[in-house]
Amino acid sequence: MSKTYEYVPEPALVKGNHDFSSINSLITDINLRPTPKGWYIAFGLSNLLLFVLLFSIGYLIWEGTGIWGLNQPVGWGWAIINFVWWVGIGHAGTLISAILFLFRQDWRTAINRFAEAMTIFAVMCAGIFPAIHVGRIWVIYWVFPVPNSMAMWPNFNSPLLWDVFAVSTYFTVSLLFWYVGLVPDFATLRDRIKSKMGKMIYGVAALGWRGSNRHWWNYEKAYMILAGLATPLVLSVHTIVSFDFAVSIIPGWHTTIFPPYFVAGAVFSGFAMVLTLMIICRKIYKLEDIMTVDHIEKMNLIILVTGSMVGFAYLMEFFIAWYGQVEYEKAIFILRATGPYAWAYWIMITCNVLSPQFFWSKKLRRNVAFTFFISIVVNIGMWFERFVITVTSLSTDYLPSSWGYFSPTIWDVLTYVGTFGLFFTFFLLFLRFMPMVAVAEIKGAMPQADPHNYDPETGDYSPQEIEIPEPNKESV
Amino acid sequence: MAQIFPKWTNEAPRRILIGTIIILNAAVFGVWYFFSPEFTQVGYAPEQPVPFSHQLHAGQLGMDCQYCHTQVAESKHANIPATQTCMNCHNQIQTDSENLQPVRDSWENDEPIEWVRVHMLPDYAYFNHSAHVNVGVGCESCHGRIDRMEVVYQAEPLSMGWCLDCHREPEKHVRPVDEVTTMGYEVENQIEMGLELVAKQNINAPTYCQACHY
Amino acid sequence: MSDQKTNDTTYWKSLNELAKNKEYKKYAEREFPEDASELTDQVSRRSFLRVMGASIALAGFASCRKPVQKIIPYSKQPEDQVIGIPDYYATSMPFLGAVTGLLVENNEGRPSKIEGNTEHPASGGKTNIYHQAAMLGMYDPDRSRSPRNNGEQASYSDFASFASSHFEDVNRNILFISEANSSPTLQRLKESTGEQFPNSRWVTFEPFGDDNRLEGANMAFGQRLRAIPHFDNADVIVSFDDDFMTPSEHANSVENSRRLTAARKVRSTDDSMNRIYMAESGFSITGGFADHRLRLKTSEIEALVFALAGRLAEDVSGLSAFSGYRNDLTGHAWVETLAQELLDNSENSLLSAGQHHKPSVHAAIAAMNSALGNIGNTVTFHDLPHQGNESSITAFADAINQVQAGNYDTVVIIGTNPAFTAPADLRFSDALTNVETKIHLSEYVNETSALCDWHVNRAHFLEAWGDGRSYSGELSIIQPQIQPLFDGVSEIEFLHTILTGDSGSGYDLVQETWDDVFTGDFNNLWEQVLHDGIFAESGFEETNVSLSGNFGDEISPLLETSITDGIEITIKPDPRLFDGRFANNSWLQELPDPMTKITWDNVALMSPATAESLGLPRERSFSSNDVPVVRISAGDETIEIAAWVQPGHADNAITLYAGYGRENIGRVADGVGVNIYPLRTSNAPYYRPADVEATGQTYEVACVQDHHNLEGRDMVRAATLDEYRENPNFSSYESVHGYEVPGIKEAELDGDDNLAEGGPISLFDEKYGPDYQPQWGMSIDLNDCFGCGVCTIACQAENNIPVVGKREVKRRRIMHWIRTDRYYEGDEDNPGVYHQPVPCMHCELAPCEQVCPVAATVHSEDGMNQMTYNRCIGTRYCANNCPFKVRRFNFFNYTKEYLTTGDDPEIIQMAMNPEVTIRFRGVMEKCSYCVQRVNRAKIDSRKETGSRKPADGTVQTACQQACPADAIQFGDLTDRESVVSQTKMNERNYVMLEELNVRPRTSYLAKIHNPNPELT
Repeated sequence: MSKTYEYVPEPALVKGNHDFSSINSLITDINLRPTPKGWYIAFGLSNLLLFVLLFSIGYLIWEGTGIWGLNQPVGWGWAIINFVWWVGIGHAGTLISAILFLFRQDWRTAINRFAEAMTIFAVMCAGIFPAIHVGRIWVIYWVFPVPNSMAMWPNFNSPLLWDVFAVSTYFTVSLLFWYVGLVPDFATLRDRIKSKMGKMIYGVAALGWRGSNRHWWNYEKAYMILAGLATPLVLSVHTIVSFDFAVSIIPGWHTTIFPPYFVAGAVFSGFAMVLTLMIICRKIYKLEDIMTVDHIEKMNLIILVTGSMVGFAYLMEFFIAWYGQVEYEKAIFILRATGPYAWAYWIMITCNVLSPQFFWSKKLRRNVAFTFFISIVVNIGMWFERFVITVTSLSTDYLPSSWGYFSPTIWDVLTYVGTFGLFFTFFLLFLRFMPMVAVAEIKGAMPQADPHNYDPETGDYSPQEIEIPEPNKESV
Repeated sequence: MAQIFPKWTNEAPRRILIGTIIILNAAVFGVWYFFSPEFTQVGYAPEQPVPFSHQLHAGQLGMDCQYCHTQVAESKHANIPATQTCMNCHNQIQTDSENLQPVRDSWENDEPIEWVRVHMLPDYAYFNHSAHVNVGVGCESCHGRIDRMEVVYQAEPLSMGWCLDCHREPEKHVRPVDEVTTMGYEVENQIEMGLELVAKQNINAPTYCQACHY
Repeated sequence: MSDQKTNDTTYWKSLNELAKNKEYKKYAEREFPEDASELTDQVSRRSFLRVMGASIALAGFASCRKPVQKIIPYSKQPEDQVIGIPDYYATSMPFLGAVTGLLVENNEGRPSKIEGNTEHPASGGKTNIYHQAAMLGMYDPDRSRSPRNNGEQASYSDFASFASSHFEDVNRNILFISEANSSPTLQRLKESTGEQFPNSRWVTFEPFGDDNRLEGANMAFGQRLRAIPHFDNADVIVSFDDDFMTPSEHANSVENSRRLTAARKVRSTDDSMNRIYMAESGFSITGGFADHRLRLKTSEIEALVFALAGRLAEDVSGLSAFSGYRNDLTGHAWVETLAQELLDNSENSLLSAGQHHKPSVHAAIAAMNSALGNIGNTVTFHDLPHQGNESSITAFADAINQVQAGNYDTVVIIGTNPAFTAPADLRFSDALTNVETKIHLSEYVNETSALCDWHVNRAHFLEAWGDGRSYSGELSIIQPQIQPLFDGVSEIEFLHTILTGDSGSGYDLVQETWDDVFTGDFNNLWEQVLHDGIFAESGFEETNVSLSGNFGDEISPLLETSITDGIEITIKPDPRLFDGRFANNSWLQELPDPMTKITWDNVALMSPATAESLGLPRERSFSSNDVPVVRISAGDETIEIAAWVQPGHADNAITLYAGYGRENIGRVADGVGVNIYPLRTSNAPYYRPADVEATGQTYEVACVQDHHNLEGRDMVRAATLDEYRENPNFSSYESVHGYEVPGIKEAELDGDDNLAEGGPISLFDEKYGPDYQPQWGMSIDLNDCFGCGVCTIACQAENNIPVVGKREVKRRRIMHWIRTDRYYEGDEDNPGVYHQPVPCMHCELAPCEQVCPVAATVHSEDGMNQMTYNRCIGTRYCANNCPFKVRRFNFFNYTKEYLTTGDDPEIIQMAMNPEVTIRFRGVMEKCSYCVQRVNRAKIDSRKETGSRKPADGTVQTACQQACPADAIQFGDLTDRESVVSQTKMNERNYVMLEELNVRPRTSYLAKIHNPNPELT
């Protein structure tokens, strides 16, 4: 005989009584509507910051890296910190779209587009720093293996070189992935937009998409393949970034735990940044139906998990330092917590380890305002994590005679602030001219898209009893 | 719904893709060749204050390089001769030639002649003539057929890669030390002889950075 | 020299073009020019003096792809000159009335590096910081360029004609004020001034001279005699505040250091060491080097000396003057211990006192030395032909009072700068106003020149002929290396003009003198002396001395010691700038002080306890450069100066370094530090009580070392002589840590082929270079190093290392390739000190090489860690990954700023070494083991012997060559007989951070103390 189980449906991913066409207009009208004033103001501000960035880079190249606070022994300062920070943020997007896609987490559809966009812009911001932090930017092409009259190749042992490849690959794949996903939506825009100009531009972007079965088939396959390609990259890129530190011999850097710890941290900060942006956008663009509190809760859970992982890593570092009995390692960790940079260390602990713990409470993790606050705290915390790793290890390493304190100059700060200009300039353009939610995909995630739920008699969508065979004891 | 794009655009994406690939490769190759000293430097032949003809002196008259470049075997520099070296002969010969006026002036007023440098190594590249001529690297190998040059020009790229060619395979270029100043020196069994010389003089041309850069 | 001339012309050409350029104007004015156009990427080694002593004509700012370069050969070439191969000429440097023999490297007629003269006893091939820095001193563009008449530019012939008319009247009342000078020629001319001008007087003025020593000898033996210590003969050395290893404190510091360290070398457990006791107020490098150190106020030290004399009087005869004498310190533990030591080692002990102590102290010291029978063995006394019989201090004071009274109508000041350095109470500047004619000869237009009607620009000793005597009297000739850059004249030429009214040649004047010196063929001997740099067997005769009869009566009234309660200030010449005469030398300004590691400033040194009593923190904050400022008032003079906590300093005492706070001297000197001279008076020139209070203000000090103790780490390893004899391997990793280096066992199991080297197991390729290549290595003996810092300056001179200035040093961006780490150990009030020179370690498995993305730093076949500037893109990853933090980064275009500030940059550019690339902005640099010297030697030996391995000793690194203690050895490790190989086989040999398995080629020999069991 067979036994019946109660089927408990997931809460619907799209709230409100939407059908496909209302979804179309809900999302794409944002792009088709005339530009709101607020957008212009925001865009103006970002451009201002962008100019700050360009100016400080120009001044940097004119004067030399001396304008930053770098010194002996601290040869890497804010530039590298910002690089790692931005790359970390750049993780969420591809993780959400690729990994969650492979795991068939349909809730991703509400945020993936948007997260991918953020990823790409974040990686752009990150990419600036390794380039400008070198002393002689005009010969930076030497890091690329191109034939030359010096008969010289780069040094393939160097983690910095691995970085070059890792980050550029990651950027390229994320970009492709993002674009492929956009194709059907470009088509939608092409078809809905009135102006001839618009039709042309979106038309070009849509690569002649007609939604034919064959198109969909190719699209699905391409998307699947790219997702497959992107997934390992999500893990590899920050792993390799962490090698910049882990491969060196500086106490506090020379640690095998770095790769997983960096990836966790990256996801942590990435999700935080997605939340920060998402919570603003869903309010302004009235997308609460699509980016629901359930989404926020799910992401908060991930933040809670990764945050605790990071916290675990911090503890582990101390344990290994004690267990390994390397005096320099021990010293550096004690100095981190008690030395000249203790203030930074404790900011890091508070923001990264303590603050996410609030999300154990369902009430708090479903509280939008609170989530917004924590998401910002987390990003501050993650910046300080990179500060602590980079600066403290260098400032007090092996020879006490060479210990030295690092303090930033105005140019360190301006360059960092400037990158937000770059980020938001692009992000606002994205919000204005591209559908910030994957229209085609979200439709697939709606109850309407599930044939099981349609009852031809009543014509409504109601859960039904499904036969599930009893597990076969013998085989166990 | 009306077509926005004509039919040919179906091909466009593919063409664009292929085009970019070709252009990128072309760019790399272009930089590699056209920006290299082999293309930019070779043939540099500035005008000199005195129209001194190596073709005449080294070629027709067959004077030995070391008659003027006296210190090439002992010093890192193959010295440009002092005016007095010219005057050794030219206080007898061609004493009223127009071309030699600057030389005579220099001699009388004890003012040096300002020659224009032809073979320019970067300042961070250290080259020692004596280290080379004493183990049988011919003048010709780097300076070309000076004896055929009316006006001296740069015959070889003098790029790092070009240096390394010889440092990695000296046997292809070395010659007996007494043949160093010979122009147009050639033997059919170069490799064979080269290997012998390399062994005899235990030539191990260094290829590490500090041999030239410090 | 024709080529020299053409340099100028071409440079001027480009310079005018520069001057026209607004950019350039802007940055020439700023202290730290910041526009980074690539102008002087052109200025690099073979650019400014390229082949054949030629110059290239920089086409103004045009850094076009192919700038036209000129080759400018000689028109008439000197016979013997091979272009591209440097010549070496002997000369000697006069300082504090003694000369040190030097050997100067010349490239195409351009002096570029100073080395010691091995033939010369005062040098023995070694040098101190002043000798090394003299090169930059000569090329200083701020030196006076012409005579001045009342501030108006004039020519020397103007002066000559003035002199001939002015000095026609031989009955003038003329006062000559000269600096201490041992030149026989000057002596001769001095005498003839006496004859020619009957009413003239000649006084010698040195703000920090050794007059007290001579007066002390005078008191003891009735003769002004110079005491010459022979440290190598002494088993016990007791120094009362005598910092004889510091150049600013002793005119013969190089020989002293050489002899002292030579007597302390420990090659095996059988070797014995001398024992050094030091009682001092400040913390000097000699004190740091001593086996026992006692910190006392300067005034207490005087008492200690007398107390000791009183104690010794009980056991030895000849000290009757002190018998029964007692004072507050008679009971001091040291008195008894010292007495015992001295009595046990009579005849082989040596006592000495600092030149800033009263004559009575020196007299007591002399008496004790003679009573203990040390005289003739560890110390000898000599009569100085060039020293007057009167105390120069009192003579000078008296002369100035005469001037004040208007008894002189002409004052001629030769070299010295009394307006800045004379005791404040003499009011020298006012005094000068009572004189009609004031004439001043000096290298800079300085404080004194400003008060004189005539300033005559003096030639640097590298530019002019002269002569002099070493501290022990050997005669040397000062041989010019180059025509005077600014047509200056030497003091002898100057005097000659005053005597005769015409400008004579120094060459003739010197030869005239030496005509009497030589017996035999003049020309041969002359050639000989020029070549050797010394006239052998010409040292001072030793004088037999015995205590003068009335010594007791003379000394007894002076035994009343007055120990100041409250704070006492001690004024000393700055270890780097001396009395201020080197203030415009940026190498010296930026050399970290041996103890405090401060650059570009002077501070008030005090003990932690004293700081606390003034309400100041005992320690400086690690995260800020701000230090508190104190107000110091003595008499009616007050100064404000930054307070610096110096562990080991005597309590209630403050040490101040004079020589700073100069104005309108030059770009470097102006406005650096605080002028201390106002606090000096003629009766208390060296130490006096003072009132000190905190002002509440702070001041930024540029210090290159922010952390001062070893944190229990093993960078420096040390033991006492006895411990060493018990366990010769005390410095091995195993003895220090109690277990083997991690990875050794694994290497054994693994059958690692590198086991021979004893290196732990490694993942990296461990192969060495090919057999035909040497493998270079260095060893540094911490038992010899006393921290003088001459290695740093020598390296700076050899390797064209730029000066970065105070602002950049504050940001911890100093460029020195070899630094001297200084660690305190033990009780912070009275710590021990270690000095550890740290150059690049040239690791065989160098961490820096692994991480450079463009392979700009890799390993050479001869085992060096090579840094290729022109490949470097400046990621600074290598510097981060260097465990020894020896890599230096060009954050700005330091070299350009350093070489092109000023109105005619080409002058200072001439000080650069043509064999070493000038580094541009954005590249990393570091110690190269002087690869330019190594490669030159390899090429030469290849040409001569066919082998790439130069004979041992043919290659010396700049630091090794300069080190007076011979602490640094460098050579080929494949030659097991080479000195460096032998040294590395010593059981004291160890490398830093062995557990990292980077296998440094630079290793250290552990330090050995020789303490007195009684005191430990």
